[in-house]
Amino acid sequence: MSLFQLLLGKLLRVITILVGVTLIVFLLMHAIPGNPWSNYSSSARMMPNIDINKHLQQELYRHFGLNLPLWRQFTRYIIGDLDQDGSFFCGALCGNLGPSIRQRGRTVVEVLFEPPEGRTFWQSRFGYSFRLVLFGALIATSLGITLGIWSATRPRSRVSRVISVGLAALISIPNFVLGLLAIIILASWLRVIKVLPDWNHPEDWIVPAVVLAVMPMANLARVTRASVMNILGDDYVRTARGKGLTQTRVMLVHVMRNALVPILTFLGPTVVEMFAGLLIVENLYSFPGFGREFWISVLALDYPTILGLTWIYAAGIVLVNTVTEALCEILDPRVRLVKGQGAA
Amino acid sequence: MIPFFPWKRALHRKTVWFSLLVILTLGLVAVLAPWLAPHDPYEWRVTQSYLPPAWAADPSTLQTTEFPLGTDRYGRDILSRLIYGTRTAFFLALTAVSLAALIGTLLGLVSGYAGGRLDTWFMLFTDTVQSLPGIMFLVIIVLIFRSFLSPTWLHGLFTLVIGYAAVGWVSLARLIRINVLQIKSHLFVEAAVSVGATPWRILHRHLLPNVLHVVLVWIINNIPAVILLEAILGYIGIGVTSAIDSSEFTVISWGGMFFSGRSAMNRNPLMLIIPSLCILLISMSFILLADFLNEATRPEQG
Repeated sequence: MSLFQLLLGKLLRVITILVGVTLIVFLLMHAIPGNPWSNYSSSARMMPNIDINKHLQQELYRHFGLNLPLWRQFTRYIIGDLDQDGSFFCGALCGNLGPSIRQRGRTVVEVLFEPPEGRTFWQSRFGYSFRLVLFGALIATSLGITLGIWSATRPRSRVSRVISVGLAALISIPNFVLGLLAIIILASWLRVIKVLPDWNHPEDWIVPAVVLAVMPMANLARVTRASVMNILGDDYVRTARGKGLTQTRVMLVHVMRNALVPILTFLGPTVVEMFAGLLIVENLYSFPGFGREFWISVLALDYPTILGLTWIYAAGIVLVNTVTEALCEILDPRVRLVKGQGAA
Repeated sequence: MIPFFPWKRALHRKTVWFSLLVILTLGLVAVLAPWLAPHDPYEWRVTQSYLPPAWAADPSTLQTTEFPLGTDRYGRDILSRLIYGTRTAFFLALTAVSLAALIGTLLGLVSGYAGGRLDTWFMLFTDTVQSLPGIMFLVIIVLIFRSFLSPTWLHGLFTLVIGYAAVGWVSLARLIRINVLQIKSHLFVEAAVSVGATPWRILHRHLLPNVLHVVLVWIINNIPAVILLEAILGYIGIGVTSAIDSSEFTVISWGGMFFSGRSAMNRNPLMLIIPSLCILLISMSFILLADFLNEATRPEQG
């Protein structure tokens, strides 16, 4: 099989997955009772809207294409459809995620990616979320990998055992508890941080980023520890030591090179999970990013925004998975070999 | 064949002792909840709302020991609610994870053994499900079901069980599939085929026993995830408790305690800390147990 065919196959697979994800979310989303204009009550959205004008409702349905049969709505979303005046518009395949229902007059892409007027791109919803995750991921990887390696090299020491139990504990704490405790202790008791943070000040980002990073950090440290310990027992490490190489050189060249593959395969899903974890952290700190937008649009049943966000997330997940897979194959020839065997 | 649960080695580990002890104790608490709870967890005492825990209470007032951990907004005893919440946590952990395990094992076995086109399509499907953003997907599922089912005490629990199982089975199925692919090449499978065993017989007599330890490790690894999930969904207010107005008062769960603790955060932070300590304890013990199993069942180290 040539490289071109391989790439084409991968691309087809990615597109199938994305369409599949969109289909699942699309169907489920329409199964949520109610519609974007029904009255919202905090208990359940079961009541039809009493106040809205029937004619107006029909007009709104028609404008957003909600009067079409479901399969038409779906193809309209993915491929595109004829406009009311007969001109064709392109769907999600061209990156057009449709108009937002909750924020009249803006498209979903604008809501998610366009900053408020006079601001830079990094102050759009995507920019905020991206920066927060980047910040958190930096904390998580640097601390997690260091901790993991450190405790793997001294597996029998007391400190390392304490660390491994402590990591298990860190995984078990729900991150909103950490976030709330941070608010109570740091903001209302010690008055170190502000209750209403100003996101233009970098120091206000520290607490949400740390809260976001704690669980991935602990997970990553555990994975690193396990894989490094696994490799430390191997023969070639003993040989390398026996040759008289320094500890640093053994660790960096022989151990880390091999430990990197499991760490990398874990890193991808971790970053994705952090994006999902934004849902909690952003709502906790009223941070203007993706997670908060998702929560608001789910409550308001803003169909296009929900779909668009899930779509972007799914695309991100698929992208991360593909990149990790490729990186692993580059880093470790054995992966390629195993894959070849698995297919046979 | 790798033993299902290596008891002999387990007894030499302090962490295993600790986790088994915690799990058994909490399990007992869950079973014996009606006898252990000092008060009726549903009973409102509106005049006694937001009482502080016993050690922080003002000694001049009367109720120092009556409510050891204080009361919540409606004057319900927090300790009793905590004890009853253990039931919910265990129920969820057992049903949701086993449902996911059942689906995952079955599909993983079939797909791995059948191979060919079925396997390819199956992998594509699992890839798709795995690309769904986890918690967002769950939020949608919970929103769907919360007004479909009748508001009985099982209501919110079923939603969570279904929601978790809908996504959770995938990782197990893929794990099982890979294991089956390895086992399939062994001689005993070939022998079974040659004496004319049906595919079903091969699946459940030859393949299944060899992957059971994988299932066990997976189950133990995923129980903390479910408990955490319940807490998170409960906290953002769409979990077991707040599904429908009336059912906030019918299901008692730790997640629901977070939800009520959130609004009383400054008044009594213990309302948040106490259930999170419980979650910490239980999921930590499951994680430590899983760690031990991971180590013990790693084949090359025997």
